[in-house]
Amino acid sequence: MSSDERTGLYVESTIIMTTVRVVAPFVLTFALFVMFHGADSPGGGFQGGVIAGSVVMMLAFAYGIDAAREWLDVRVVATLASGGVLTFATIGLGTILLGGNFLEYHLYEQFLSHATAYGIELVELGIGGIVASVAIGLFFLLAAGFGHAVDAPEDES
Amino acid sequence: MTLSLIEGLLLVFVLGCAIGAAVLRDVLASLMAFAAYSLGISIIWVMLEAPDVGLTEAAVGAGIMTILFILALANTVRPQENGLFESLSVRTVVLVGAFVVVMVATVPSLPPVGADGTVHPNPVVSGEVTQYYIDNAYADTEVKNAVTAVLAAYRGFDTLGEAVVVFSAGVAALTVLRQEVFA
Repeated sequence: MSSDERTGLYVESTIIMTTVRVVAPFVLTFALFVMFHGADSPGGGFQGGVIAGSVVMMLAFAYGIDAAREWLDVRVVATLASGGVLTFATIGLGTILLGGNFLEYHLYEQFLSHATAYGIELVELGIGGIVASVAIGLFFLLAAGFGHAVDAPEDES
Repeated sequence: MTLSLIEGLLLVFVLGCAIGAAVLRDVLASLMAFAAYSLGISIIWVMLEAPDVGLTEAAVGAGIMTILFILALANTVRPQENGLFESLSVRTVVLVGAFVVVMVATVPSLPPVGADGTVHPNPVVSGEVTQYYIDNAYADTEVKNAVTAVLAAYRGFDTLGEAVVVFSAGVAALTVLRQEVFA
């Protein structure tokens, strides 16, 4: 039994589905803009990540949470979350290996020009990945509810 | 300090939403008031020239938080109760009122919005650190947004901590709900 059926959360609506289909690409583009352009304008990884996460929530509201859960590859979500932390930590600790302090970006200049700007951009993307995947994860976890987890701990779908 | 019409209306709106979130009886109505409050606050942040904070407040406070609260609410039983407002006990009103009075008493000691520090002391503007960031952020980090420079470079270690906190929150939620995957 799906959690949607149990709680009657999902109402199929052509209007919502059409709206989401039109709006979602723009929201995702805006999220990436906020993330990539955070260095030069307001925004950054935290905000962009939340907006990117909300795209999946929009899809879930339009097409049903269980359908979205099946469509979403959990490996991508897990990779984004742990990959974000690893990216940030690697960039930060890499400068220590090069003989500097934590996150001393300009030490990467010897490999790549404008390394400082690219390093900050990568860190922002890492943060964005963490925030987006954790937001998506919390959404699906809360939607499943605690009873669902206790009833069927093996049920991953 | 003079308020423009829009600022005044926003303040009234935010205060009304905050009180609504506190006293409305229906949890969903209270939740909607809370979301509206977050949206109002985010516009106030933009007016105070803190667009980064405003964007975060709008995305997290008004967006994600509302969705997560609604989901939590959908998974619980909502009692059908009569009456629009929560009945307030005198003790609560006195306690909250006293707290508000204490907080409001600190407001006059804040520098006025936009003060440059010549007439009123304004540590935000005249502080040495602020000036250092404004002068050196672009040369040091090659990013134009000084907030990003502080977040990802000058205070990068703190930000790594914050990112790990977010990650741990996700892992903690998995553990508490006895799930193994996020979706």
